[in-house]
Parts: sequence; structure tokens; C-alpha cells
Amino acid sequence: MFARLLWSLLRGSRGRLAVALVALISGATVISGLLNLNLDIGRKLAQEFRMLGANVVISSPRPSQSIGSSADAPTAAPAVMDAATVLDEIGLVRSGDIVAAPYLYIVAHSAGAPVVVAGTWLDEASKLAPAWKFAGNRVASRSDMTQCLVGRNVARQFRLAPGSDLALSYLGRSVHLRVAGIVDAGDTDDNQVFVNLPVAQALAALPGKIELVQLSVGGTSATIAQSVAQLAAALPGYDVRPIRQVTEAEGQLLNRTRLLIVSMVVLILVLTALCVLATMAALSMERREDVGLMKALGGSISRIVGLFLAEMGVLGAAGGLIGCIAGMALSRWMGERVFGASITLRWEIVPLTIALMVLVALAGALPLRLLGKVKPAVILRGE
Amino acid sequence: MFARLVRESFVRNPRRKIMTAAALVVGMAVATATLTVALEVGDRMAREFRSLGANLLVTPQSDTLPLEIGGVDYRPVDEGAYLREANLGKLKMIFWRHNILGFTPFLDVPAVLAQPQPDRKFTSEAGPATLASPSQPLSVMVVGTWFDHDVPVPDGTRFKTGIRLTNPAWKIQGQWFHDGANEAVVGVTLAAAYPGGISAGKTIYVNVRSGVASQPRPVPLLVTGIVSTGDAEDDAILVPLSVAQSLSGHPGQFRRLFVSALTKPADALSERDPSTLTPTEYDRWFCSPYISSISYQIEQVLPGTDVHAIRRVADTEGRILSRISTLLWIVTLAALVAAGLAVAATSATTVLQRRDEIGIMKAIGATNALVGGIFLAEQLMLAMAGGAVGFVFGVVLARVLGASVFGSPAPPRLVLLPVILGLAAIVAIAGSLVPLRRAANFNPAPILRGE
Repeated sequence: MFARLLWSLLRGSRGRLAVALVALISGATVISGLLNLNLDIGRKLAQEFRMLGANVVISSPRPSQSIGSSADAPTAAPAVMDAATVLDEIGLVRSGDIVAAPYLYIVAHSAGAPVVVAGTWLDEASKLAPAWKFAGNRVASRSDMTQCLVGRNVARQFRLAPGSDLALSYLGRSVHLRVAGIVDAGDTDDNQVFVNLPVAQALAALPGKIELVQLSVGGTSATIAQSVAQLAAALPGYDVRPIRQVTEAEGQLLNRTRLLIVSMVVLILVLTALCVLATMAALSMERREDVGLMKALGGSISRIVGLFLAEMGVLGAAGGLIGCIAGMALSRWMGERVFGASITLRWEIVPLTIALMVLVALAGALPLRLLGKVKPAVILRGE
Repeated sequence: MFARLVRESFVRNPRRKIMTAAALVVGMAVATATLTVALEVGDRMAREFRSLGANLLVTPQSDTLPLEIGGVDYRPVDEGAYLREANLGKLKMIFWRHNILGFTPFLDVPAVLAQPQPDRKFTSEAGPATLASPSQPLSVMVVGTWFDHDVPVPDGTRFKTGIRLTNPAWKIQGQWFHDGANEAVVGVTLAAAYPGGISAGKTIYVNVRSGVASQPRPVPLLVTGIVSTGDAEDDAILVPLSVAQSLSGHPGQFRRLFVSALTKPADALSERDPSTLTPTEYDRWFCSPYISSISYQIEQVLPGTDVHAIRRVADTEGRILSRISTLLWIVTLAALVAAGLAVAATSATTVLQRRDEIGIMKAIGATNALVGGIFLAEQLMLAMAGGAVGFVFGVVLARVLGASVFGSPAPPRLVLLPVILGLAAIVAIAGSLVPLRRAANFNPAPILRGE
């Protein structure tokens, strides 16, 4: 009986309910879309922040300047560490998404002028610094002993172009390399020559040694902190140093964006409730006659209000469900549009949105209280 | 007559207008707040990003190749080109001077950290036990810079800048050095690695590493604080620029300048070479705070320099900023649609509630046009009043939002007032059009009978 009454009520005032339903659906769409985005935005921003390059540096604990005072070869005896042990440990910690590259710096000479030579893995180094722009080719292999990359300023100073030859000498040892590409880093990297690690190790006569490891650890600031703690535990005696500016700025930006989105969600909820409220006010005016009739037939006011509330609940749930589906599509679209990548859909948002919409719909049914005042006799007289 | 009808409707039955008015106020308040925040957010987020550090690097043009490892220049002091400190005020004279948030010159001096007993020879092997371990002086990098330096600008004003502005993320334990004083701030790694440790209040003695002839005696520096930068400076000693200049024998000069500028994310125009632009495009490029146009303007006022965007920072910033602002505009649009929907729904409701009135008007001979005109005029007046009140509330809401999200309130934008009033009018009228169309079909007789 209750269900049948509910059904006929819903059918009876389709037009008005459609307005409320549209309001609920659009509210639910936007809210579920935004909530979904809000949960995923940390990951997305973290990906963007990797553009900044390495965010963790592992080095030997001694400051590298504490060795000798010979000014002409400042890194003649760098605080080196054993490449294999450090890299193995990093490999074991590889819990998250970590890009790592070892570095060995020497100040070599080319055509009589000093230049910083960074020995690294050329295939990983460009992944560590996604902001690099290349003229010419990249070096695809870390065992390529014949090619190098040069920074923009080095290329200008020594008049190098992709394909030209570069001779590097260091303490009597020398090596001839072909310039594969020119790196435009917009950074101090522009002043360096990048060679593969074995080349630099051979020049420095430090086989198997590295000076530091740069890592780009993916994830949000919390997961980065966790990875740093794991690395520090795995590498006792080494200096595992997060580059703080990056992670702090990231956390702040994330908080602000989230706060902004949440406040927008609250505002949109209020507006949706208002919309439903307006529709319900009109509906309760129109329903005065129905209510009068029901009362005259002996329906108690609680039963009648219960009926209307059930109606609103059904409406809210339906609006929430349809809105959620639309919201998934919306957040997908926003992900593509804003971040150029799809957003992971979170199913826990569906019950949340539906609950919110049912609440909003019930709050919007507030004008139905007026129905309690309806006097059947007056209504039936047609006044 | 028409005016009187409209007026009477407000005077006689103000309660009927309450709902539409309330919806208008709330809807327009939300619209104002979201638009204000959305207009503000790019600028705020851009400022937020400046805590990442500088985004422009200025170096001498005819320089030898810097021997920089980990951000510290290892070139001896007598090699390479320098920039003049006296010219720096000109940076605040460029077209986008207000976007130059701060700049800091740096001068790296390779130095040695001598042992703290001035009356003894620091190379003494026969010293007491405290001197036993580092008989050899520790070689360090002394970085001369500004913390909060007062720069005269050629237009007569002064500008205080330094790492306080360009590197706000650097954390200090103790205090920064005073400009020009023989004081120093020591990097946290170096302080810990130094035998016996360095803490604030201690005096350290530094001497330039090469060219010993120019500075035979070590310079005493009072340590005022320990700095943690999470970067290469953790291994260095930071001193006032003037101290580093006299240490290196290069008074009034420095090597590198970091500039922190508020910029607009790069787009197709900013990526192009300025020399290929047409005059109108060039004007637009020059008058937009792109990082490329700002660096071009800096090169013009500081001749003989090379200005590079620190691409790592600038690119990240540009990408994230444009993403967040797109996101914000989508959200704002959604809030605007919700506001419009709410106002339209209440407007429709009010028209329907007044069926009886419409019936009577039609029964005594009012045309559909007149009824529609009266209602639309009422809606328009409501929209104006509600929009104006909503704008005021919206300004307050924007302040609250700005304060909670960005830590400082968003300033009101009067430009938005006409936009909001127009929006209010459009949604209020659009919302009542459909029910009014239906009202045109009302047959007065059944309405008056109460059916």
C-alpha cells in the first residue's frame, strides 16, 4: 500500500520531481567527480613534481670538500663510495617508483680549459631530469663508452655540435668521445659534460667508485618520506638526504588545492539543497489537495509526511546513483583535460555521494512541514 | 500603472519574494566567491611556488665555464668574469618590475677553515689535544650572499631583498648574519662534520684557498646560526656578500644572481623566438610576464649577462599552475551552474505559487504580455537587489575562503559586480520564462474556481 502510494505519487508529479531530480543529479555528478579527483590529485601532482628532478641524494657522510686543499683539482680525491653496494641496497628498497643514477664528478681538461665531467648512467640521467631538452640524440645505453652528452654552455664554449669529437684529459689519462647530443637543462647541468660512469671511473682511476647517487622517488610526500626512511635504514653510514624544498612545496600545494576543492563541494551541496528546497516548496503547495484528501480519509499526518519523505529519499538515492555514474565520466574527462591522464575511479565515493544526496533531498523536503497545518475541510471546500 | 503594479506586489506581499531573493543571494554569493578565488588562485599559487627557490639565473656572458658541482662553483677567485653589484637596483626598473619578487647575488669563494686559536699557528703539530686531529685546515666553500639587503633602486626607492625572499624554505637555527658584519651562518652538514662541531656563538677563522698573498691573515667570523637548506649549501659557510668580496679581493662584484619572478605559464607565443614575432605579437609577448620576456628585459638592463630560466623549476611551475587553474575553472563553472539552477528553480516556483494572482489578472483583462512584463520586471528587480546583496556576502565568503586556503584573504574585485548582476538577471529571468509560458495558457475560470 505504502509502496503503491509512493509509486503513484512519483508518477503523478513527474514534471516537478524532474526538476528536483535534475538538481540532485547535477549536484551528485559534480560532487562525485570532484571527490574522485580530490582523492587522486595527490598522485597526479606528485607525478608533475617529478619534473623537478632528483629529490633524494645519497652520498658519503663526509662533506666532499674536506679533502686536501689543492685548488686546481677540487675533486681529486672525492669522498667516494662503492658503487655496487650502494646501488644494490637501493635496488632492494625499490618499494615504490624510484629512478636512481650514480654520479662521479671530476674536473677534466679539454683543449686546455677545465670542465666538469659527470660520470653517470646516461639512460637514467635523462629520466631523472625530465626537463632536459635535447638537440641531437640521446645515449640509450649505460655501457656506451664512445658517446657523451654535453651541456649547452659547454657546447658553446668548445664550439661543439652533435657529431663532433671531444677529447677529455685528467691527470695524464685521456679519452676521446663523440658528442651525441647537446643538453639544454636551464641549470648548472648546462656547464657539464655527461659521460657514462665507466668512462669517468677510468679517467679518475677509481674503478667501481661513485661520489653520490641521485634518486627521483615517486609518490606523495608521505610515501617519499617512507622511502627515504627505508633507504636510510638500508644504508647505515651513508648520508641519505631528501631535497626538502621540493617535498614541502608539494605538500603545501596539495593541501591548498584539496581545501579549495572541498570548499567548492560544500558550496555546491548547499546550492543543490536550495534547488531541491525550492522545488519541494512548490510541490507541497500543489499537493495540498492530495494531503487534504488523505487526511479526510483518515491518514495520520506522520504517515503522510513519512510518505513524502520516502519519496524524497527515493529521489535522492536515484539522483545520487545517476549522478555518480555521470560523475565518474566527469572525473575521467577532467583527468584527461586537466592532467592528460586518466583518473583512478574510487568506488567508495558511490555510497558517499548517494548518502549525501539523500540527506540533501530530505533537507529539501523541509517545506513539507507546512502540510501538517493543512485542514482537510478547508481544502475540500476548494479554498 | 505598470510601475504601481510592480511596486504594490513588493509592498503588499514581500514574503512571496523571500525564497527567490534568498536563492539569489546565496547563489550569487557563491558565484562571487568562486569567481574571486578563481581569479586570485593563479597568482596565489604562483607565489606559493616561489618557495621552491629562484626561477631565473643570471651569469656573466663572457665567462669561462663554471666548474660547478652540486651548485657550488669551484673556480679559483681570480678566474672567470664577475658581475657588478651596483647595477642590481636596475632590476626593479624593468617593465615587469613588480613581478620581480626578489633577487640574491652569490659569490663562491673556495676557502679553508682554520683552527680557532688565533695566537697559535694553525698548522702547529705541537698544539694541545684539542688541536691534534685537524692539523691540516679544512677546505670549505664560503658563499657570499644577502639575507635581507637594502638595494637602492635608480628611481629613488629602496628594495630589500636576499635569500629571505628567494629561498624562504631554508631553515635557520639561531639567526641570520647581519649585512656587512663579520658574521657567518654555517651549513648543517659542515657544522656536524667539523671536529668538535660548530654552534652559534662560536668564532671561526676562514682564509681564501688560492692566492694566499692577497689575504695572509685568516678572517674571524662569528657564527650566528646553523642553516639547513637540503642542498649544497649544507656543506658551505654563508657569509654577507661584502665579506666574501673582501675575502676574494673582488669588491662590489659577484658571480651568480638568482632571481625569483612571478611568471605566467609558457604557451605557444612564449616559446617562439622574439626576433620572429610580428610587431603586435612582440608587444603582446613583451607585455606578458612570460619567463622568456622577463629574462629578455633583465638582459637589457644588465648588459653583458646571460639570463637563463631554471627550466626544472620554471617548467614544473608552469605545468602545475596551468593544471590547477584549469581545474579551478572547471570547479567554478560547476558552482556557477549550480547557483544558476538554484535561482532558476526558485524563480519557477514563485511564478507557480502565484497562479491565483495570474488568474485574477487575466480575468479582469490583462494580456499575457502585461502579466509576463510584470513578472519579468519583478524578477529583474529581485535579481538586482539579490545580486547586489549576494555580491557583498560573496566578498565576505571569498575573504574567508582565501584566508583558510591561502592564509590571507582574497581582496574584493569590483569588476565582478556587473558580471554578477548580469548573471543574476539572466538566471532569474531564464528561470521564470518556462512557468510564464505555461501561465500564458492558464484559463482564468478554473483557477478562480480553485481547481
